[in-house]
Amino acid sequence: MVVSCGAEHISHCGLALRQAEVLARSGPVIFQLREKGLEAGAVNSLCSQLAPIIKASGSLFMVNERFDIALASGANGVHLPESSCPADSVRKASQGLIAGQSVHSTATAIRAAMAGIDYLLFGPVFTTPSKMAFGPPQGLDALDEVCRSVSIPVFAVGGITPEKAFACIENGAYGIAALGPFIDIASLPDTVNRFQSFISS
Amino acid sequence: MTLPRRFLCVIIDERLCPVELAGMALDGGARMVQLRRKTASGLELYEWAVRIQELCRQRDAIFIVNDRIDIALAMHADGVHLGQEDLPASAARSLLGPDAIIGVSVSSVAEAQQASLDGANYIGVGHIFPTFSKEKLTPPLGTESISQIGKAAGLPVVAIGGIGSGNVLDVIKAGASGIAVISAVSGADNPTEATRDLVNRIWQ
Repeated sequence: MVVSCGAEHISHCGLALRQAEVLARSGPVIFQLREKGLEAGAVNSLCSQLAPIIKASGSLFMVNERFDIALASGANGVHLPESSCPADSVRKASQGLIAGQSVHSTATAIRAAMAGIDYLLFGPVFTTPSKMAFGPPQGLDALDEVCRSVSIPVFAVGGITPEKAFACIENGAYGIAALGPFIDIASLPDTVNRFQSFISS
Repeated sequence: MTLPRRFLCVIIDERLCPVELAGMALDGGARMVQLRRKTASGLELYEWAVRIQELCRQRDAIFIVNDRIDIALAMHADGVHLGQEDLPASAARSLLGPDAIIGVSVSSVAEAQQASLDGANYIGVGHIFPTFSKEKLTPPLGTESISQIGKAAGLPVVAIGGIGSGNVLDVIKAGASGIAVISAVSGADNPTEATRDLVNRIWQ
């Protein structure tokens, strides 16, 4: 399961840290930080604080796009958007890092897998406000097709609830990724448990 | 790589095609090109950077990427230029290695000395004159800041901010090794001629 955290403003940094501390007790998950809107120096400072907390819990810490920050902050890896530096050049330049990539079609999924990407996020599978920029929902059939086309793990993303997570697994997903459901800190351990129970049921 | 003794650095911003503008700047005699496009995707930056780096190699000029050490690593740029809000130069040095050219924007002696400790090769000092490229909240530093900040850091100074054909020689005489310009070239009717004019004045 990928827990995505969007620190789009300096005031969100506190949320990321609180999420990390709670997840350290309920993990293990993949914790991915998306930091659009923050300057690189602030992202690096935040990542340097997050990395030890997340790694100590057995979870993986992934930084969005900036593998320089992933390397400098001691993160486990980098998560590439579809329109990033070519994956093979990132692989060569970031040895030792895990590399995930977001894809929105079977063709780009196959290309990413061939370039040595370790896992994929595919979506949006369902309707979601945060992924409107990536077009209409692609549905479970498209998820199934992508999962059959590559041998690396595929995480379903976009409008995933605990109840919908099981259908994603049935259609070949290795796990799910979400952002919105994990924002409420008070219910975070319970949310993680509910997702885990549907994914492994 | 080493820095030239006196040089013009042309910063590629949001105007024009970056590769085309870099070619024109190099035709005009620029010895350093910096790619700074804040709104571009990683893929766009990478593809432009690969082509501009190739142009710079052909002319024995230096190519540096603003802020994005990841892009510089992925396409083997000559170096990076970092602002105070970016990753520290120490991180860039350990990621890019001893041969990379690393510049840091500073506006005070304290920032310059930190850049020196962090392993920077040069400091960008500015803004020297009033400028409209960015909304500036601080007054211009003036030409006297060049030797003052440069000497304190023990590093070559690339001066930036409001520099054009009318004042470029004053900046060189004040002790700058390099001159960085944005709009003086990218906003000119003929960027190649604008570059050539500035380069000629630097060597007057």
